[in-house]
Amino acid sequence: MIDANPAPHPAADLAVHPSPAPVLSARALRRAYGSTLALDGVDLDIRAGESVAIMGPSGSGKSTLLHTLAGIERPDSGSVLFTPANGAAREVTSLGETERSALRRGSFGFVFQSGLLIPELTAVENVALALMVNGTPRAAAMPRAAEWLAALGLGGLEERRIGQLSGGQAQRVAIARAQVTGAQVTFADEPTGALDSGTGAEVLAILMDSTVGRGNTLVMVTHDAEVAARCDRTIRLRDGRILAGHDPAPAAGSPRTAIPGTAK
Amino acid sequence: MSALSLAWMLGRPGRGRRAPLLLTMGAYALVSALVLTVTAGALSFTRVDNELTGMYLMLAGLAVVLLLVPLAVLGAAAARLSARSQDTRLSTVRLLGGTPSLVVGITILESSATALAGALGGVLLYAAAAPAVGTVHFQGSAIGSAMWLAPGIVALVVAAVALIAAISAAVGLRKVIVSPLGVRNRTTTPKPRWIRAVVVAALIALVSLAFSMLSAFPSLAVILAVLLGGFALGLGALNLVGPWAVKVIGNAKLRKAEAPADLLAARMILENPAQAWRQVSGVAMTSFVAVVGGSGAALMNTAGAGSDPGSPDALLAADVMTGVLITLVASFISVACSTAITQAAATLDRADLYSGLHRLGLERATMEKARVGSVMAPVIGVGAGAVIVSGVLVFPLAGMAVIVAPISVGIILLTLLAGVLAVRGAVALTAPGGVPRPGNSG
Repeated sequence: MIDANPAPHPAADLAVHPSPAPVLSARALRRAYGSTLALDGVDLDIRAGESVAIMGPSGSGKSTLLHTLAGIERPDSGSVLFTPANGAAREVTSLGETERSALRRGSFGFVFQSGLLIPELTAVENVALALMVNGTPRAAAMPRAAEWLAALGLGGLEERRIGQLSGGQAQRVAIARAQVTGAQVTFADEPTGALDSGTGAEVLAILMDSTVGRGNTLVMVTHDAEVAARCDRTIRLRDGRILAGHDPAPAAGSPRTAIPGTAK
Repeated sequence: MSALSLAWMLGRPGRGRRAPLLLTMGAYALVSALVLTVTAGALSFTRVDNELTGMYLMLAGLAVVLLLVPLAVLGAAAARLSARSQDTRLSTVRLLGGTPSLVVGITILESSATALAGALGGVLLYAAAAPAVGTVHFQGSAIGSAMWLAPGIVALVVAAVALIAAISAAVGLRKVIVSPLGVRNRTTTPKPRWIRAVVVAALIALVSLAFSMLSAFPSLAVILAVLLGGFALGLGALNLVGPWAVKVIGNAKLRKAEAPADLLAARMILENPAQAWRQVSGVAMTSFVAVVGGSGAALMNTAGAGSDPGSPDALLAADVMTGVLITLVASFISVACSTAITQAAATLDRADLYSGLHRLGLERATMEKARVGSVMAPVIGVGAGAVIVSGVLVFPLAGMAVIVAPISVGIILLTLLAGVLAVRGAVALTAPGGVPRPGNSG
């Protein structure tokens, strides 16, 4: 059982800056689908508390990189080291399927374009489910989930089915589900891709506030340069490699602290 | 391009569609073999001519009719699976300007062709089983060569299976929308109302009253006629109360749910109680046949124990018991097939969600437990409910049967248990295989 993450307080003003310690360190990641190289020797460090956008054309390997960092996929070779705030570092790619599932449940959060919410469950049940699969009793999980929904502007919609929510509301439910367990790293794959620009901006603001705004890390795949511009730095991929010069080192003192992220 | 040529072009068994196609054809083959076997058994009663021949034919006809219900449910489920496994292709036809009626035509043709192929396989299955089934005794002797139907009747059954599949496909397609952007289920789900329970209670009271007066009736034939009338009313009552009962079961499960799998299972049941009911209605019907028919047969056997074992009445008593057991087995095979088909369609429906939830860290075991729970909770709840309701209906008969013929009652209950296990096996058969692989979109 994990501790439920308290919902963000609207009055809280958390000016959190990235810490220098990498929470994720990828080294020499290679992944091939047949004769196509999706990842071709990617090295990347992501620090705790920073937001990183991954951009690139279709087929460039950005989703594969996201899935590999999150332990959804295993690379053909290379390593991903996850160093949680309180606990020993773990080499993600060497973990078994069950251990990686547990890691994803407990330490990572996910927000995908399609939301991946369970249509039969109500909004509050969808969020509470993330706590329940980690061992939190339902009686404790439901009020915590409701708090998160309220904090993200969905108060009063707890009992709605997913089909009864708008696209933006459904994405907020997905964000609440990703954050309610206290995820240290949130992986988002085109989280605003299916939304109109106004709703997309609202959802992005909520996603940033509930992750990096609380000192946690956000790794986001996007096609949208405006969305990427909201992140601390942007990594551009092409043919499975990080493009040189597209992993900018921020100026000292700003949130965009230099991170070694190299392409081969 | 005509629906026929499009159906041929789209329906060719490709690698991705092989499993659903084989499952559907296998299900039709089994049901066709069952219908042929039961029809042969029913017609075999014409070989002996005595005062009970009419009664035999009526009972055999009832068994055949009972099998048509799960066959129709199976056909509708097969059509839905067919539409689901054709998802992208049918959507593309719509995107290219194909009309909804063209899509209906393609699906009906494909379902009929699948059913026809399955039914032909069923003929082989029936032929293979006929020598063994021919050893079953009715009217004092083995059915023997009477199991072999005339070719015309076999052709008629095969055609009927294809026709029912076509009709079921058309009905089943009303439940899904094939748009240029994909196939999805219609979301209108009628909510069962409590008034159904009141109507059913009144029906039960009426039939109970009629059954309590059974001893007043002079002949076995009249008693059987009253039993059959009550049986028909009982089946109607079951179909009225079914969705409501499933909803009650779902709500009870939801209230108690602590584990994620239980919460998911309860919500999956409550999402569409009517659909959940259709899936398990065969179990209710079979449980009903088991209690009513079984009690009657057990008592008739006991009553005829002292009389001449070769007398028509004693033979009828033994034969009703045999018939009930055969109907139970056949009905459960149909139910298990329907469950396998429905679950295969549901698994295809939810493939993306399953894969996505696995990416989020939800264990496959949790999702699988939810899926099993969403089928087995209604099966067990409805099965037990049907046994209790029908036990109340024929309380004097059932009570007496338990006392005077416990072995017969035990055999019936064991057959029921085996049937429930067969449904569980069908659910296991359609478990999503392997760890879902993430897509590679970028």
